Amino acid sequence: MEPIAGTAAHAAPFAAGQPALAKRPAAGDFDRGFDERVWRWAALSPALVLLLTLSVLPLINLFITSFFTVTWSGGHSSLAPAGLSNYRALAGDTLFRAGLLNTILFAAFAVGGQMLCGFVLALLCNQVTRGRVLYRTIFILPILVPGIVVGAIWKLLLNFDFGLVNQAIGLIGFDPVNWLGSASTALASVIFVDIWHWTPFCFLLFLAGLQSLPLDVYEAARIDGASAWQELVYVTLPMMLPTIMVTFAFRLVLAFKVFDEVYLLTGGGPGTSTQVVSYTLYQRFFREDQTGYGSAMSIAVIFMTCLLLVAAFSSRRQTGAAR
Amino acid sequence: MSAGARGASRSWLAHAALVGAAACVAVPVIWVVLAGFRTQISLLSGAFWFTPVLKNFREVLFSKTSDFLLNYLNSLIVGALSTLICLVAATLAAWSLHRMPWPRWFLHIFLGWALVFHMFPPLALASAWFTIMRSIGLDNTLTAVILAHTVLNLPMALWLMGVFVRDVPVELEEAARLDGATTPVLLRRVVLPLIAPGLAATSILTFVFSWNEFGVALTLTMKQTATVPVAIAKFAQDYEILYTQMAAAAALSILPALVLLIIGQRYIVAGLTQGAVK
Amino acid sequence: MPANGAGRGVTRRQVVAGGGVAAFGLLAPRRPAEAAAKAVPITVVINQSPWFDSFRKVVELYEKDTGNEVELDVNPFAGSLEKQRNSVRAAQGQYDLLVMNSGWFAEMYFGGFLEAISDIDPAFKLDPDIYTLDNTVYFDAAKKTMTPSGKLMSVPIAPLIPLTYYRGDLYKEAGLVKAPETFAELEANAKRLNKPPRRYGIVQRGARGPASVSYDFYPYLYGFGGGVFKNQAAGDYSVTLNNEAGHTALDYYLRLAKEAGHPQTASLEQAEVIQNMVTGKAGHIIVVVSAWSQMDDPDKSLVVDKVEFAVPPHAPGFSPGPGLGHWLGGIARNVPDDRKRAAVEFLRWFQTADAQLAYAKAGGIPVSAATYRDPISQERKFRWMKPLSEALPHAVNIYQFPEASEVISILELGLNQAVAGNLTAVAALNSMAGQIHDVMSKHGYKTGVEPPLR
Repeated sequence: MEPIAGTAAHAAPFAAGQPALAKRPAAGDFDRGFDERVWRWAALSPALVLLLTLSVLPLINLFITSFFTVTWSGGHSSLAPAGLSNYRALAGDTLFRAGLLNTILFAAFAVGGQMLCGFVLALLCNQVTRGRVLYRTIFILPILVPGIVVGAIWKLLLNFDFGLVNQAIGLIGFDPVNWLGSASTALASVIFVDIWHWTPFCFLLFLAGLQSLPLDVYEAARIDGASAWQELVYVTLPMMLPTIMVTFAFRLVLAFKVFDEVYLLTGGGPGTSTQVVSYTLYQRFFREDQTGYGSAMSIAVIFMTCLLLVAAFSSRRQTGAAR
Repeated sequence: MSAGARGASRSWLAHAALVGAAACVAVPVIWVVLAGFRTQISLLSGAFWFTPVLKNFREVLFSKTSDFLLNYLNSLIVGALSTLICLVAATLAAWSLHRMPWPRWFLHIFLGWALVFHMFPPLALASAWFTIMRSIGLDNTLTAVILAHTVLNLPMALWLMGVFVRDVPVELEEAARLDGATTPVLLRRVVLPLIAPGLAATSILTFVFSWNEFGVALTLTMKQTATVPVAIAKFAQDYEILYTQMAAAAALSILPALVLLIIGQRYIVAGLTQGAVK
Repeated sequence: MPANGAGRGVTRRQVVAGGGVAAFGLLAPRRPAEAAAKAVPITVVINQSPWFDSFRKVVELYEKDTGNEVELDVNPFAGSLEKQRNSVRAAQGQYDLLVMNSGWFAEMYFGGFLEAISDIDPAFKLDPDIYTLDNTVYFDAAKKTMTPSGKLMSVPIAPLIPLTYYRGDLYKEAGLVKAPETFAELEANAKRLNKPPRRYGIVQRGARGPASVSYDFYPYLYGFGGGVFKNQAAGDYSVTLNNEAGHTALDYYLRLAKEAGHPQTASLEQAEVIQNMVTGKAGHIIVVVSAWSQMDDPDKSLVVDKVEFAVPPHAPGFSPGPGLGHWLGGIARNVPDDRKRAAVEFLRWFQTADAQLAYAKAGGIPVSAATYRDPISQERKFRWMKPLSEALPHAVNIYQFPEASEVISILELGLNQAVAGNLTAVAALNSMAGQIHDVMSKHGYKTGVEPPLR
């Protein structure tokens, strides 16, 4: 039986090279070694060059700026060293603290919700044989809509006086709810809109992952008499783990960066109930032009996101190893 | 047989669930597209029935202050080229990283750096890039936006293609090597067909992200090079949102992108599975 | 050159003809536009807005009149500031004339990003009819204040302040004769028109945003004689938000919302306030004047020709205090000199009475008092002009310093919490005043704070 693709493939590169060379010293191998050396670098270089030229400078710049205070006068900037004071100020910033809590809640529920919906939809779509392309096309629709339009449209739909949602629930006999304007429902509404907007992302990736799973594993499982549920838990999920983890990582990072929707739907309110970290960053860094402080906030958020991801990945690896 | 009947009812249930989900997903989008045909007051007063007007589309496409068709062309060029470059670079790099004998630490640093880069707020990057582009004279060009979008989407494409590349069984690659395949042949004939679904999915996502990207596109462009999201954002004015015109612009933006993706999906998957050597 | 014999020089006939032409040129009267040297093309950065179209038509008129070229780079409002900042901070700017919002022109002045108009062209005189909008067109770089002692930095492009919009037809029905002038009258009239949930007496903007509830609150605050700072023009940034006048203003604002206003005021943004008016659900709103065009547009409004305009109310003994949300046109420092001069030429033309009249006819909001004296202001379509011209001299520039957005964000949060009922008026005022004081001290301004309200 074929080993699980992911783990085996990870170990493969190191085993692949030597045995071939050791076993068969022939003229073709000399070419192959050269071929490998050239292609090792040639294949990596486009991405390497792009990242080096366009990502390193801005990042270093951001990191350095976080230790300064930037002011402008006479058309020129001056940087005054601020040591760690920008970082210390983060703890006292009410908007930043509220932002962290809301973002963690937002990320947990929104990302969790999207991944669940995306996975279920991908499973269903993979099973049916008719209309797969139609379903796939329909489920992609929400991410085609630009972020700013998503915000504007849902703001109208959730409007207290005239929105379609309140009209619809009014037909069933409920009172209109101030979805975006009352602190108890605002964050939930923003999370819902985000789930609506981003489930296609998870759906597409899970579907692609499911479609590239080897079929013989399923055949073997069926021969062994596994039920649908067992198939799902013991065969599908473990093989999909790399896809799930990467989707989760990128969705989480994107959730921490969510901006368009909050900007248009609630502006961080009511009160601070939908104040998310990226919105605080936008306020401090750009509207208030606190470049040094904003840079420190960016670095702090990145650091926290990294911690979260490391924690999530290492716990997964442990449970994966135990299996 | 019982298994068959069970299969049939399961399939019926699956279809029902899918149809329900499709409705949830599609109704707001249809509502947006229809809103492009309404007058603003009919939308704002929450009326359900309305008489369609073409005014919004006319305003969006042909008014003197609108460059929508130009923006559309710009978005297409930027989207297509940045997706192409991004996917080529990411796929090659992912294959190299996971299949070539790189030291472990190099792999982790490269991928880790890409992920950390992905966490940086795009607006902060945008102003740094603006300074670079302006100093070499590339600001207000499509080239700048193409490069920026390529780099922005590279981390995600790199990681995703990494997953799909690792799913290709090593034995197949070894077999092809033993048959004397050089790397280009190996990639074209063995690897590419197997990662086709993943490639299709990643290119769709990359294209859509580029198509809808606002912050960086706004910073690096001016009137002649602006993209569709910049045009759409102009309808959200400081105290009035021109909902119906924004909806018309959004409808114009969604439908062709959808058509392109449907065709593109089939083409990518079909084109790549040709000539697979099994 | 002569057709025959190229090297033979100019013929006598040509000299006479040439001299005749020159003489004619000297003697004939010159049009002012031709007298000025032909200016180089300039690029103006401006944002998309309802009044943008009128500005564009005026620019076309300028191009036709003078033959000079003007390129308009139109941006969405979200991102306008960042684009202008990027341009002025680069070594070579992309934009020559910046149309700046009241939210960020102070940053441009203080940062030294603009060149004073009087420095580019000492002969430039601001037309006496142009509204100086609480002296925001001037900047004294030494004292860092906006007073006429400073240099002329910009020319107003759109003098936007809030006006009271009210339903004239409902007034007639209720037997109310004149527009509300004092806050007491506003409260009484609003209660008269209040028939919830079909219609609210007044709809206010209580949501938290980049500049939402605070902008709604300024006419109340300043109309009651209160203010955020003691005397900005003199450089005194002592916080007076939580004095007695401020207390009265906020109490009034909250009472109005509770007794004659929308039950969800704390979540209403400007777009929703206007939405309530155009759908007929509001008796009064106090909103920026540029929304006037929506009121009479049958595609956008159910109350066509029913809305009247008035100067925002004030308390007896005090002046009305509409807060400025205006747009100013300033010239960037980091562009070539000939483009700066060309930009001055445009501004010189823009401030003339003829240009302003054309601006008004195209649907814009003129910045010259001359236009408000013109017969056009008597037309039904332009019935907002008279109240606007009465209100403009009282326009208040709330913030004269660049770190204003930090203060605004404090006000937004505190006022929103007060409107939502999460904080009492007293607690909100004290908390905001304390935080504003901290911010001003942090930035080194001369400041102080009142003792907390009880």
